[in-house]
Amino acid sequence: MSPLVLQGIASGVVTGCVYALIAISLVIVYKSSDVINFAGGEMVMLGGYIGMFALIGLGLPYLLIFPFAAVAIFAVGALFDRLVLTRTRHLALPGQSALVAMVIGTVGLSYVIKGAVRVVPYTEDVHRLPPISAGTPIFIGPVVLQQQDVAIVLAAIVIMVALWAFFSFTMAGKALRATSQNPRAASLVGIPVPLMSMTAWGLAAALAGVAGVLLAPKLLLTPDSGIIVILALAAAIIGGFTSLPGCVAGGILLGVVQNLIGVFVSSRAISLAPFLVIMLVLLVRPQGLFAGKATAKKV
Amino acid sequence: MFGSPPLARFAPLALLLIAGFALPQVLPQYFLFLGNILMMYAVLALGLDILLGWAGQFAFAHVAFFGIGTYTTALLQARLGVPFVIGMPLGAALAGLIGLVIGFPATRLRTVYLALATFAFAEAAQWVFNAWDKVTGGPDGLRISAPSVLGYATGSDPTAFPVMAAILALMIAATMYLTTSKLGRAMCAVRESEHVAAASGIDVNATKVAAFAISAIYAGVAGGMFTLFQSFVNPDVFSFGQIVLLLSMIVVGGLGSIPGVLIGVALLGLLPEIMRTTMRAFLVWQEFGYGVILVLVIMFMPRGIWGMIVARRGAP
Amino acid sequence: MKKLLLAAAMSAAIVANAQAADPGITDNEITIGLFAPMSGPLTSFGLDALQAAKMWYEEANKKGGIHGRKIKVITEDDKCSPNDVVAVVKKLVTVDKVFMVHGGSCTAAAVAAQEFVTREKVPHVMLNASGDNAVIPPTRYVFGAFGGTQRAVGATIAEFAVKELKGKRIALIAHDDDYGVANAATVKAVAKRLGAEVVAIESISPRITDVTAPMLNIRAANPDVIISTCYPAPAVLVAQKYAEFGMTKIPLAQAVQGIPVPAGFAKNVGNDAAFASFYYGSPLNDLTDGPKQQKWIAMYKQYYPDRTPSAFMTYGLPSAMAITRALEKAGRNLTRESFIDALETVDFDSEVVAGPIAFAKDRRDAHRASIFVKYDGKNGHTRMPGVYLWDGKEGM
Repeated sequence: MSPLVLQGIASGVVTGCVYALIAISLVIVYKSSDVINFAGGEMVMLGGYIGMFALIGLGLPYLLIFPFAAVAIFAVGALFDRLVLTRTRHLALPGQSALVAMVIGTVGLSYVIKGAVRVVPYTEDVHRLPPISAGTPIFIGPVVLQQQDVAIVLAAIVIMVALWAFFSFTMAGKALRATSQNPRAASLVGIPVPLMSMTAWGLAAALAGVAGVLLAPKLLLTPDSGIIVILALAAAIIGGFTSLPGCVAGGILLGVVQNLIGVFVSSRAISLAPFLVIMLVLLVRPQGLFAGKATAKKV
Repeated sequence: MFGSPPLARFAPLALLLIAGFALPQVLPQYFLFLGNILMMYAVLALGLDILLGWAGQFAFAHVAFFGIGTYTTALLQARLGVPFVIGMPLGAALAGLIGLVIGFPATRLRTVYLALATFAFAEAAQWVFNAWDKVTGGPDGLRISAPSVLGYATGSDPTAFPVMAAILALMIAATMYLTTSKLGRAMCAVRESEHVAAASGIDVNATKVAAFAISAIYAGVAGGMFTLFQSFVNPDVFSFGQIVLLLSMIVVGGLGSIPGVLIGVALLGLLPEIMRTTMRAFLVWQEFGYGVILVLVIMFMPRGIWGMIVARRGAP
Repeated sequence: MKKLLLAAAMSAAIVANAQAADPGITDNEITIGLFAPMSGPLTSFGLDALQAAKMWYEEANKKGGIHGRKIKVITEDDKCSPNDVVAVVKKLVTVDKVFMVHGGSCTAAAVAAQEFVTREKVPHVMLNASGDNAVIPPTRYVFGAFGGTQRAVGATIAEFAVKELKGKRIALIAHDDDYGVANAATVKAVAKRLGAEVVAIESISPRITDVTAPMLNIRAANPDVIISTCYPAPAVLVAQKYAEFGMTKIPLAQAVQGIPVPAGFAKNVGNDAAFASFYYGSPLNDLTDGPKQQKWIAMYKQYYPDRTPSAFMTYGLPSAMAITRALEKAGRNLTRESFIDALETVDFDSEVVAGPIAFAKDRRDAHRASIFVKYDGKNGHTRMPGVYLWDGKEGM
């Protein structure tokens, strides 16, 4: 294979892990409350800025800015669910209209976060969070990768394994899964469903915040950086929107396909690629590539 | 609630028509411009509400049909000299046709997959508007020459205003008929429960596809309306942000109700203008303020403003 | 009797018309509607430029105004969105009844308002927008491109690449929006004229997050000069990949829109290797904080002590200067038409931008020049010799 294609694939895998991390956050929210979190991108962006503030403003050591951002964004997500979504669910007509209202709520949240960040004059210019390790690039044959790239891929793997362990082996994780599968039954066996919902949102938000700290060195930060949520959505759909490994596979597939299209077709077609892939996947396999058989949602 | 709408319900439409002819005589162009924008959004929102509020289909493709309607009407006028009274229906028909075609595969998808597939379609359509520059002018956009409606020249806000009002009145009347018709009832049934609807003998798929096509026609009509008072179109008009705005309008106003949709359009359509003029010292907070308003509305009035009014009146 | 009445009526009409002045002018005031993005993603483009224009008007007022009239300014926020620009212009003209509108930092927005101002016969002078499609072809009522059109940007950077950097195989990476299309048109035309070949044109979305594929394509095309006209964030990504993929022996020339603050740009790229052979263009007559720009920065500090101006601040001055000059020339009997006739004759050195600000009967793009700077990524800005000019016709 030509070095061009190899580099395209390698870089695509890295970018794909970027999409995957955000996609995982979206899927956790969706599984817990059926809502597509359109503020997911803004949470990533806010995590990046908070990480920057912690590093440059407060002078914290680099490794500490991850938990710092995670906790901050966890609070944003959990509070949003507790204060806003619970009320909406309670007051709205059940079914579709509640869902639509909650999705509009996440849109509102995205404007709130973006608007608040934009008020700070520092954000008028483009900034970059310094990478966790900036050193000599890593060469694998003709392929060149930055150290930050490797960090991203490793982080994606670690996070996925940690989440899998969390959901499979811990009580909290199992309780979250139970709540997402059947809230009624879960509350009957004593699981505090509102608390679970809040936790799921907080967890997803924290994940987005951590993703922000990882990605800001690669993607640069502006208040509009949240637009990447569209690509994360594409990754999640390809993976089936139900499974976390599916997100990673979907993200990597998307990243690689984008680069290959750029090399073999044209750079202009790169922006079309995710949408074509979404439509094709859903046409052929409506449940995504990695979910199980298509099941009818509970009526 | 069902059956033909009583004649009294049409009274507000007569008012709308009268306003359409009277207001351009007294208001400065700026306010007429705002009015034109609102009327165009009203038709868009009504169409989206048919799909989302009545048939319960959470689909994001609406803005693509809006673009198809706009470009088709504008291009027919500019390239082939097709007059507006033929061009707009053609644009709407094309939009409806594509809506029909999209409807078939789309209806096999459930909830989030439907939303995301139609969203992908809308983004792909915007990419096509951008890339097909030989036809659409691409990113440089297209200048729209002033259309004439049956010999009456439009192209400016005061001249377009009465025509816009007339089209809006027509679309509202159409919506009233639709929602009280058999198809309208079928859509409601499908929204509440597809299984029960099927069990009652309703062809669920056909109903869903019909909803798609009809809402696409509305969007195509709105596209034609665009050419009446705007002089320039480029692909940025048909963005994801637009669809989000439309969704917000119908959620804030009240899903599944004509007055609700119109209230939502008026409020969220005017909100940016109001914020711009009142927040002079705090312009940078506009975005934040807009987000806060959205969040507050869905927190305290998740059924929309009209939903809250109806609930207060004592309906269940 | 009838004839007498008719003559009386006609004279009355003529007298009435002669006395009817244009809106926005009183005995001691001229009202100008000023608009720019004062909020939203492009604030750094417009806010300071708008405030600089206001500052210039204040200076004129301090000197007694223009022929005894002070300039009154009404400002509006257009967020660089075509819809907002049209709304704002219509409000300024039909509600606030301004004499003329001065504003616009984004091209698509300027084009959207063009038909209205032409129909209403209101002069529209842009602020710092490139305004390509609104000034080319020229129309009577719209004036712009005070920082240069995107065609000028493309033409000058291509000429620099061939003449100074001795490029024979040019690679261009530009956006797929209206700016990029204009850039590519003139780059191709100038390269052709000077006998160079354009070996690659990569057209990328302004929202792109991974430029691996375009940069690989460029590398594979084997250019000897790379031109980038990308915006700030993608420009950084391009420079990063340019270094990562070992392309730094090939000179890279970046147009002004991607590098508003060179120090910040270098920090974002974070890789010294990218600046071995790095050049950037600018329509100014000096570096952004160079000696020739200092007097304007000092003036701005006096008026707005709480705000550090963005790199685009001085871009707001040439248009305000042109306006006050034209108002002077038009004299006390000021009408919109006489203002436009006067504006068509201006030709002056603004002491802000590299070339003259000039209009003509058939010319509505004010500025066509660029300077270039070699930048080492730290503190070393070396002004390259010459001022590059676009002739206004090439590449159309």
